[in-house]
Amino acid sequence: MDDVLNTAKSCRHYAMCKIDFLGTGLCKSGAEKQYVSFYPQGRMDLYAALAENRIQVTEKIIEIAESCDLCGKCDYQCYFVTEMKPSVVMKALKEHVRLYLDKGGEVLAAETDSILYGLKEIVGDYWATGDRAVALTYSHDPCPVAKPRMPDYVIMPDSTAEISAVVTLLNRHKIPYAVRGNGSSVMGFVMSEGAVIDLGRMKTIGFDEKNWLVKVGPGVAAFDLQKASAARGFRVNVAEPSALVCANIMCSGIFSLFSASYGTAADNYIDAEFVGHDGEVFRLSEKSAPNLFAFRKEDSAVPGICTSAYIRLHPFTSDEGAAFVPFESLEGALDFARECAMRRIGLAIGVLGGEYMSAFLSPTKKLAAEVKDIFRDKLKIEYLVLVIGDKYALNSIKEMGYFYFDTRMIRILNLGLPSLISAKWLDLMEEFANEEPFSYLKLKHFPDLMEAALAPSPAQLVRDVDPELRPFFEKLYARPEMTDPVWLNMFRIISSRMGREKHVLAMIIYLPIDNILITEINSEFKRIADSYGLKNDYGFITPLDNGKRCVFEYDYYLDHNDPDERMKMQQAMMEAGMMIERYSAETGTVTWIRYVFSQGFSRKESFLYSVAGAE
Amino acid sequence: MSGIRTGDDEKHLLTGATGFLGSHIMAGLLLKGKGVVIAGRPSAGVSLKERIRRLLGWFGIEHLEGLLEFYETDFLKVRLGLGEDEYELLRSRGLSIIHCASDTSFAEKNRERVMKTNVESLTEILNFALKSRTRCFHFISTAYAAGTDNIECPEAPVNSAHFTNVYEESKAHAELKVSKRCREGERQYTLIRPSIVYGDSGTGRSLRFNALYYPVRSLQQIRDIYLDDIKNNKGKKSAECGIYINDEGVLHLPVRIFIPNEGNINLIPVNYFTETILSIIEKPVTETCYHITSNNPENMWRLASYTERFLNITGIQIVIGTPGDGEMRNAPEELFDHFLKAYRPYISDKRIFSREHTDRATSGSLPPDFSYEIFRRCMSFAVSADWGKNLF
Repeated sequence: MDDVLNTAKSCRHYAMCKIDFLGTGLCKSGAEKQYVSFYPQGRMDLYAALAENRIQVTEKIIEIAESCDLCGKCDYQCYFVTEMKPSVVMKALKEHVRLYLDKGGEVLAAETDSILYGLKEIVGDYWATGDRAVALTYSHDPCPVAKPRMPDYVIMPDSTAEISAVVTLLNRHKIPYAVRGNGSSVMGFVMSEGAVIDLGRMKTIGFDEKNWLVKVGPGVAAFDLQKASAARGFRVNVAEPSALVCANIMCSGIFSLFSASYGTAADNYIDAEFVGHDGEVFRLSEKSAPNLFAFRKEDSAVPGICTSAYIRLHPFTSDEGAAFVPFESLEGALDFARECAMRRIGLAIGVLGGEYMSAFLSPTKKLAAEVKDIFRDKLKIEYLVLVIGDKYALNSIKEMGYFYFDTRMIRILNLGLPSLISAKWLDLMEEFANEEPFSYLKLKHFPDLMEAALAPSPAQLVRDVDPELRPFFEKLYARPEMTDPVWLNMFRIISSRMGREKHVLAMIIYLPIDNILITEINSEFKRIADSYGLKNDYGFITPLDNGKRCVFEYDYYLDHNDPDERMKMQQAMMEAGMMIERYSAETGTVTWIRYVFSQGFSRKESFLYSVAGAE
Repeated sequence: MSGIRTGDDEKHLLTGATGFLGSHIMAGLLLKGKGVVIAGRPSAGVSLKERIRRLLGWFGIEHLEGLLEFYETDFLKVRLGLGEDEYELLRSRGLSIIHCASDTSFAEKNRERVMKTNVESLTEILNFALKSRTRCFHFISTAYAAGTDNIECPEAPVNSAHFTNVYEESKAHAELKVSKRCREGERQYTLIRPSIVYGDSGTGRSLRFNALYYPVRSLQQIRDIYLDDIKNNKGKKSAECGIYINDEGVLHLPVRIFIPNEGNINLIPVNYFTETILSIIEKPVTETCYHITSNNPENMWRLASYTERFLNITGIQIVIGTPGDGEMRNAPEELFDHFLKAYRPYISDKRIFSREHTDRATSGSLPPDFSYEIFRRCMSFAVSADWGKNLF
């Protein structure tokens, strides 16, 4: 496989090219034409399909290829996440189409039929299509258990009324449909052979500050909502930056490190509007509405299409900061996180693995690999607990007797990461760690020493970045928010880097913060993935409901283009699922997120505690 | 002497042979043509035999390997973790025992581990000693097992209830345990108490780089941080701390070293330690303590001047007293003070160790005075060995 095709096929569908998370502005044609096909993500799929003769050149492909102005914004965005430069694919796509047309190649016209005609009547001519090129970009994702399904139609409605009419029409013709968020799903939920409804045009955000809520359209991505909220002095509890908020609630309920205080699932919204399967519109707050607060431990269907959600707004104060509290063991980290949650210390709490400090903060995978060893071997940091809180919360951690990297130190560490690799003085820390681990963090002048020793600067951080992109990234990391742990955790733009090497599949469970149980399950996740030769790593744990329960993510990785790894992943997922079911049956306190899928509007208590599930 | 098998009467069973002092005892015995039975553990996937082979290479005495026997043991297990027959065979040989293995951590957080290694594990090794016809049980302790209650420290059983750290405390407990069990079992024993041991005064060579070395290494690395800052970053951070390169091209690094009182640091070179212990075990006097210590301990002023000269820095100042909250004036001073914390009791020590028994055993042989030349030799070796990273 040549490099261009390899890049095209390596797109993870994380949709980071669909949000302006670096301040570069969006891909112009994507923002204008809205279909994913016009974003770099769609173009990557199209080029791969053309190069492998899986699709013919269609009218839309010509439009898609020609509308790319090769601005290169996608290189910045994609490099930030995966270290790939998609612009070579964009160029190759244009070239492929040009050569094809120069040779007088036949252009496949989109077929039309009465259903498509009806759909166009509802949403407008441009916003419903049967073009095979557009359909292809909605036909697959990197999930190893979902087979590609080419939809007959792709529809982009712009209002609840349009959605209702579309659903009614599709029902009338018995056309199955799937609703698509921003392009990546865990289990292939977003594909259908009938129609795919893309809600990406419905991006309305309406604040009701008096009621501490924001009404969010179904096409609003987490990053954009957080940005709009922050501009008004609020925070929302959202997940991955490119995930659409309504879809995210619908799927699994939103959880983040902030769920330690803001909660999850029904805690995050006040009301929501749906188009039911029958095309009728209902509000969750209506007495006659289906009871989506309830939960049943079973594989469920979605209750309809969420067309807007009224999301809770949270205040934040100017004295917020972060603490990275290092630990030598998972047990120590869990004890601390539980205690913080029980005492209601901190807004966001997460027990993180070494991957966080290395993969998330490093701009390249080479640096990530080098510093990961240093954190573990020299600084003896196996786990760390990230706490975000106001000054009172952070002072409490000190009073509890824990040493931590504060906001300033985190910034120094981040911008000085490359210096860590050759830092001889870390040998002293290593030896000292054996006597009194992390005690250097309590030294008043330690940040000054770090600053002298690591010589932190944007230029230093990006020294291994592709020379072509280096000037951009140097400017990027000079922006304060890019090294501000509070901002980074609100906007979560660096967590997508966990998929930098390979596509990631998260195994997620809810359970008590029981050290023995968690250690056992953690070992089991590892054992299973290791037995299939799959890369795997501890993800994170966040306390829920004041530390009575937590959400635990363990990550499996695969090369989604490797059939052998896909097969191994399917087997590993099945085995891990059986393991979770076994613990669930034995303890009565372990819930697999599989059962929360499509029930994300339920009350968290309904799936965190077995009494509700048992009835 | 190569390959000569000596009779069991000449042989010693040695524990801790992979450690700093133990390895020197092993090398000393081998060079005298004595056979040594090594009892110890594999580590990090490396067998005991391989670990010892590396050490023999370091000492340049690979040709004496034939004088060694190896037993992989675990002192916390019944019969030292040996099989019944193997244990019986070893026991029946009546070897004299030099018990040198210990955990040298000072940290309170490691209390359980230290007490387990240094005190609890004695049970099985003493069981072995008592069941066998051992000629003598030599226990390598520390001069600091004397505790902190008395300035005058005689070569006598420990009479103190207070210790600087868990290591000292464990050694004091261990001495009591050895004395009690050996007396009850009517076995000869000695308690050998070295002070702080550094490298070979003649060659500068060493296998460990803690104690005396650690502060110098800390200062060297702190120095290098600021030299880099001056060279590569215009010395911005250095200037904030009053650090600069003076007209003579010497780095001025203003660091105050706080010591609680005007005491000393009792140092002996490892070659002196080895010579002395070999003399002691040659003609041991049972139920006797031996202080392998210096009658002329160093003071911190001299060590600071040695360090300045060696590292080509100025600005180190010794201050008697305890720093108050917020008194640390800059990052290097605070970090160095933090690094020094565990060693502070040993660099301002007022204890005086009598050494009549040792003098008698060695015919009055004393350790050399700690000159700058010895200091330079030892530190140069340490730097060339990258403080232990390039030893083998």
